[in-house]
Amino acid sequence: MKKLIPVFIILLACWSCEKERTYSLPQDTLKIATDTSAHVFSMESSATPCNTCHTCDAPTVKNPCLISCPRDKSSHVTTGKHVPDEGPEIVIIDQLKKLYEPVIFQHRLHSSMSVMGVGCSACHHYSPEGEIPPCRECHSEEATSTNLRQPSLKGAYHRQCLNCHREWSHDTDCDVCHLPLDKTAPPTPQADKTDIIGVDHPTIHIPEKQIFKTPEEKNTIVTFHHLEHVDLYRYRCVDCHRDENCSQCHEGVGMIKSFGDKLEMHHSPCSDCHNTTSENNCNFCHMQKESKGFTHDLTGWPLSRFHVDLTCASCHPQNRPLQKLNKTCTACHTNWFVGNFDHGVTGLTLSESHEYFDCYECHLDEQYNQPPQCETCHDYDVIYPEDLPGERK
Amino acid sequence: MERRDFFKFMGATGALLTGTSAQAASHQPDFDPNEGVGVLTDFTECIGCRECEWACKDAHNMETPPLETYKDKSVFAEYRRPDENGYTVVNRFPGKGCGEIDLDVKVQCMHCNDPACVSACIVGALVKQDFGPVTYDAWKCIGCRYCMVACPFEIPAYEYEVALDPLVQKCDLCITRLEAGQVPACVEICPRNAMTFGKRGDLIKLAHEKIAEKPNKYIDHVYGEHELGGTAWMFISCEPFEEIKFPKLEEASVVRLPEGIQHGIFKYFIPPAMFYGFLGLIMNLMKPKSEELPESETEVHHD
Repeated sequence: MKKLIPVFIILLACWSCEKERTYSLPQDTLKIATDTSAHVFSMESSATPCNTCHTCDAPTVKNPCLISCPRDKSSHVTTGKHVPDEGPEIVIIDQLKKLYEPVIFQHRLHSSMSVMGVGCSACHHYSPEGEIPPCRECHSEEATSTNLRQPSLKGAYHRQCLNCHREWSHDTDCDVCHLPLDKTAPPTPQADKTDIIGVDHPTIHIPEKQIFKTPEEKNTIVTFHHLEHVDLYRYRCVDCHRDENCSQCHEGVGMIKSFGDKLEMHHSPCSDCHNTTSENNCNFCHMQKESKGFTHDLTGWPLSRFHVDLTCASCHPQNRPLQKLNKTCTACHTNWFVGNFDHGVTGLTLSESHEYFDCYECHLDEQYNQPPQCETCHDYDVIYPEDLPGERK
Repeated sequence: MERRDFFKFMGATGALLTGTSAQAASHQPDFDPNEGVGVLTDFTECIGCRECEWACKDAHNMETPPLETYKDKSVFAEYRRPDENGYTVVNRFPGKGCGEIDLDVKVQCMHCNDPACVSACIVGALVKQDFGPVTYDAWKCIGCRYCMVACPFEIPAYEYEVALDPLVQKCDLCITRLEAGQVPACVEICPRNAMTFGKRGDLIKLAHEKIAEKPNKYIDHVYGEHELGGTAWMFISCEPFEEIKFPKLEEASVVRLPEGIQHGIFKYFIPPAMFYGFLGLIMNLMKPKSEELPESETEVHHD
């Protein structure tokens, strides 16, 4: 019997050895992304233009001049200008229609919200000129992408939506967006979307002016003409409201983010345009009483109907503070000559006999805001405005 | 030589032998961990949906309540650890460096490049596969639970409830799924792709790119890149890792020194042989001289 024990041990050892598992990785079928630029478009099935992926006209194997799909800021993708209104009213996302009701995404509502953020590019990080490509053009529906840098379609959608949604509602439950197909289940509070479909974001109320009291000794009042900065100076919301998000309003934090306690931080939203560092400049904003605000009339140049819609910079291109301009029309309108200037816009269409005269022949000394001098050509019996060189509309 | 002196001498000799052997057998993994697979978790993307917890149990054929029940956020009230009933858990920490949102943190086996559990296992039940995962062979396990003591991340769990055949349980990086050409279950189900599966070397590159792109969002630390010689599972976060209960560890592998010493001593069995040979020599030299009696006298005595 004792002789059997070693035999038994050897058998046991062999048996346990046999049970040892070896593992190996199937390199060919396992989706391991090996390179960050390994995103491949199928040439047959995709109508993607070459410049979506290549920076050069003639890519070669040696020099494919690839741009890694859009998130990469260094790529040379030209970003087109898009406005919130150009998008669709709603977008229906129904890739999971077997599992859930389709997700109804209120595109218009969200795009109108984006004006307080960075605009369309808040979500459409890849927005070339022309039509913005849908998410699934780059993001694959496969569970895992072949490109490490690129989330799958599921990942891309959820990253976009939940970035904001978890911030302002702290609600990340699936049924906020994905309603169950099972109608017998008790409806969730999120189920009823009828009140928000087709509704724009409520108009964002812009206060006319805000009056701040500062702890200064003498000049305690700072008046910020908010509406004036928006309507007259054409600032976009994001020019001052930087890095703000939905929760700024929706959590009841209030419309205005505190800009910080330090003087530089406190002044930061103004500092881009106003010199807030020079001590001689304080009185520009800090006053003893409320300021009246700005209209162009105060400069002695009430804006005509042609100029009223322009931005400040289109006439005053130089750095601030803005300089007084030469009031002569041709000082700015250097490209106006006979033949390319439609005199009709002034309300007076020139007759055929006057059409080809040089401007200065009637408007002496380039004084275009003065009545024309007819006597340089005509006898003294022709007098403006009794006799017109054309037809007044 | 007195008994005490003898021990002192032997101790010094032993230490000398051990030291030289340890240096000679300096620990060198026979594979490049950066060529193996790994996962990069971006905690800023995690929303605490806990679908990974469900997917993990589902993939390992464990009993699990339906996915809908994982909506329950009350579990975040207390800090949880992976155990034999769930190889991965998500904990929630109040975000300080992450703005106004909380930080959700998923933990599981790190699949170290130089795993302490593998080193501690006396029967080789735990194995570091050269392509990344640390796997467990239940047939070999004798239930000593040394691995649980050795793991700096306190990951291996023991089935104390099972009376007859208790096993050590931990994340296996879904090795059966990997073999079938699939990615780990938690990676696949994550709705925000908070986890990226790929080659470890590529993931390190990706992590540093992400941090460089948004230096205000992330703290400049890829946890697992260097910790204890590196891990296959790595993390980036907006909160310092000490704040989210990740141990602060040194860069050198914990197993390098002790394993070097142990393997050094027993390499080719030379040091023990030398040691016992030396011991025998001393015994021989120290034989008391009074016993050396003349041969004839002894014979006479016998007679």
